[in-house]
Amino acid sequence: MNRFGAIALGAAAIVAIVAPFFLRRYGIYLISMWAVLTIAAIGLNLTLGYAGQVSLAQGAFVGIGAYTVALLTQAGWPYPVAFVCAGALCFAIGWLLGYPALRVQHHYLAFVTLAFTTLVFLVLRNEEWLTNGIYGINGIDRPVLFGWSTGSALDFYFFCLGMLAFLSATTWWMLRSPWGRAFLALRENPIRALSLGLDTRRYTLMAFAIGSSLGGMAGALYAPLVQFIEPNSFALGLSFNLLLMVIVGGSGFFFGPFVGALVAVLLPEWTRFTEGYYLLIYAALVMVMMAFCPSGLLGLVGRVSKAMTRRAPSPPLLRVEGTDP
Amino acid sequence: MESFIQLLVSGLATGAIYALIAVGFSLLWQTSHTINFAQGEFVMLPAFFILAVMNAGAPFWLAALIGIVLSVIVLGLLFKVVIVDPMLKYGVLPLVISTIALSLFLKEAAKDFYSSQAQPFPTLVPATDLAVFGAVVSTQSLAVLAVAITTVVALHLLLHKTRLGRSMQATAQNPTLAKILGIQVERMVLYTFLLNAVLVAIASILITPIYLAKFTNGEVLGMAAFLAAIIGGFNQVRGAILGGLILGVLDNLSAVYLSSQYRGAFPLLILIAVILLRPHGLLGRAEERTV
Amino acid sequence: MSAVLEVSNLRKSFGGITAVNDVSFEVREGEILGIIGPNGSGKSTLFNCVLGQLLPNAGEVRVDGKPTTGMRPCDLNRLGVSRTFQLLQVFPQLSVRDNLILAGQEHRGSMLSRLFGRSDAGLGDAAERMISFFQLSHLAGEQAGALSYGQQKLLDAAMAFMAGPRLVLLDEPAGGVNLTMLAHLRDRLRAYHVERNATFVVIEHQMEFVMALCTRVLVLAEGRVIAEGAPQEIRRNPAVIDAYLGH
Repeated sequence: MNRFGAIALGAAAIVAIVAPFFLRRYGIYLISMWAVLTIAAIGLNLTLGYAGQVSLAQGAFVGIGAYTVALLTQAGWPYPVAFVCAGALCFAIGWLLGYPALRVQHHYLAFVTLAFTTLVFLVLRNEEWLTNGIYGINGIDRPVLFGWSTGSALDFYFFCLGMLAFLSATTWWMLRSPWGRAFLALRENPIRALSLGLDTRRYTLMAFAIGSSLGGMAGALYAPLVQFIEPNSFALGLSFNLLLMVIVGGSGFFFGPFVGALVAVLLPEWTRFTEGYYLLIYAALVMVMMAFCPSGLLGLVGRVSKAMTRRAPSPPLLRVEGTDP
Repeated sequence: MESFIQLLVSGLATGAIYALIAVGFSLLWQTSHTINFAQGEFVMLPAFFILAVMNAGAPFWLAALIGIVLSVIVLGLLFKVVIVDPMLKYGVLPLVISTIALSLFLKEAAKDFYSSQAQPFPTLVPATDLAVFGAVVSTQSLAVLAVAITTVVALHLLLHKTRLGRSMQATAQNPTLAKILGIQVERMVLYTFLLNAVLVAIASILITPIYLAKFTNGEVLGMAAFLAAIIGGFNQVRGAILGGLILGVLDNLSAVYLSSQYRGAFPLLILIAVILLRPHGLLGRAEERTV
Repeated sequence: MSAVLEVSNLRKSFGGITAVNDVSFEVREGEILGIIGPNGSGKSTLFNCVLGQLLPNAGEVRVDGKPTTGMRPCDLNRLGVSRTFQLLQVFPQLSVRDNLILAGQEHRGSMLSRLFGRSDAGLGDAAERMISFFQLSHLAGEQAGALSYGQQKLLDAAMAFMAGPRLVLLDEPAGGVNLTMLAHLRDRLRAYHVERNATFVVIEHQMEFVMALCTRVLVLAEGRVIAEGAPQEIRRNPAVIDAYLGH
């Protein structure tokens, strides 16, 4: 990461920590939502940006995570256990879903995840004995962790921020390992990667399963954040939204999801005056972006900074052992 | 037994419509490696074109014709030139994402610029019931079936019996070879897009009376198109037709014999079954392994 | 000596065209087999069938006696089979050293151990050894995309050798390389061959390269084997001359 990037990151971190003290309740809620959505977007970025597969089910995984945590905590289970369950369940489902879908070509995963999202929505809506159907689950408590109550808006925000920091650090660590190199190879040149003994199918599946698991963990934070969940929140719309977030931020860039989620959370606020046209604008924006700058906002920044400094950019995604800093 | 025949007929009618949508989708993939995620919205939209023209005073038949023409221009020509062509140089994935964004865009546009309420849509023939082999069958189903089958037959004749159609097929199967043989590949690809636009417009006219004109139609119809194409085999037109018919019949039967609450789950189960048991689809060729 | 590679009655058609028609041959350990033939004779298709890139319509491929027809390239690689590519396939964004590290990483440990980086131990040294073997030391830190064509070809070969394969299939290694680099490449290939007693199969157009490197030559024309033997005999074989002149 070059110096400009490091400074920007430092500044952003300071803003993230200090900002809530200057915001009212709704503002704090927004940035908490940003943190939660970023986690889901990081997961989707793994699947899309690193492994090159379109998943239209990330919203469904968020839903599965949210309901898992809501149901378990209301049944008396401790929150940390419920959180881990949410992540593990989504990992398993992701693996099961991806295994047949990735044996075939033609982006079948996109269709399978599309159908899966519908299925999840139907289960959430119909199985009232479990999920309370369309009435949703109310009164989800915010957890008390090691004596610290996250009930207030401010406390819960820092909890979300902390989880975001932890999960993104873990992802960063994974991408620095040989797995990260494998993902790069998988994306840049799968044919060559195969001939070098790299099992592209397995790495893709792993990326998808981990990505889905992160979606579940985001859901585990989403439930106590909004404290009321119902099936409609996790329908296709959320999956689309997350996909667009990753694209707009810059797919394949580590910080793309952070930027994309910020745009997604703020855009409805900024376009309030357009009265609900924001989704239309968002979609149009994405199409224009794909035509001129498919590598998203961070790709744009990369191009601009390259033009300004006239130096070859370091690979924007991960550091490989032995590269010069 | 009577109700079975009734279901079969209406299932075939719906299936024929799915077949039209799936064929267009399959052709686009074959000729230009375009996975059109907005195919469902492409079927949803022409109905709104027609309603808008009718609101301006035109009779249904005229509005339908204008709707088809508009469809060819917007969903055929403009789609290719403005969206697909510029994106192709980036590869398949950016194009897939573009069409996903496009599907969202078209859906929202219909909702915002026309209406979020379901609109009634005129049927081709007045809806009455006929007695066929002792079963009660609606004329609407028969009319749909007639038009759809005629279109499919016409399509078949076009693709197999005319020089143009054979050139389009050759382009679909092996563009490099087609070019060597002197076929104007670029033009054939354009015709495929235009053909798709015609097919979705016809499908729209046929299905909207049943579904009503809703901006959300695209979701269901798109899923049906993808499924039919996958079931039949991604790289075969005949497969798409077969897949559509099978899907239509199964869908109708399942509505009656399975829980209506889970009707939407049926596609996923079929999809998983096909992918697990016969990934190339019923008629598809085992494609070369790329990765 | 057992055959390292056995191809039996291999056939591959695309639509109406049969690119590879009933081809059979054997490669014994330590041999360097050259496969030549005019354009369109099916050489690349044959390679791709052997390497699992394409699924043959008929016939069998065996490596060290084990049937490998239709096996995925990554599984073949783990059996000790490597390849180079006709069209360059290096990772341009990574440095030369990182390309080699990547090339070697899938052969140590399991996927899970790779996550914790333990299997990486020694990979850096192995890469260094390969870099010096190919005399690319001055370029070790450069981005692979910035190298000249000939240097990338060397890197391509180096990547194929990282896993220490028994059998290497080289797809037109000499294509587009200047004479000096060509001599260097041929020299390095021969050195590796001697050091490891590796077996090579080489597709090539350039006669001098084949004659100088290969111990045995196979000639393909229109998907069939039309001649087989020592390089000198092949050169004088009338059927071979015909096939080339006829095109």
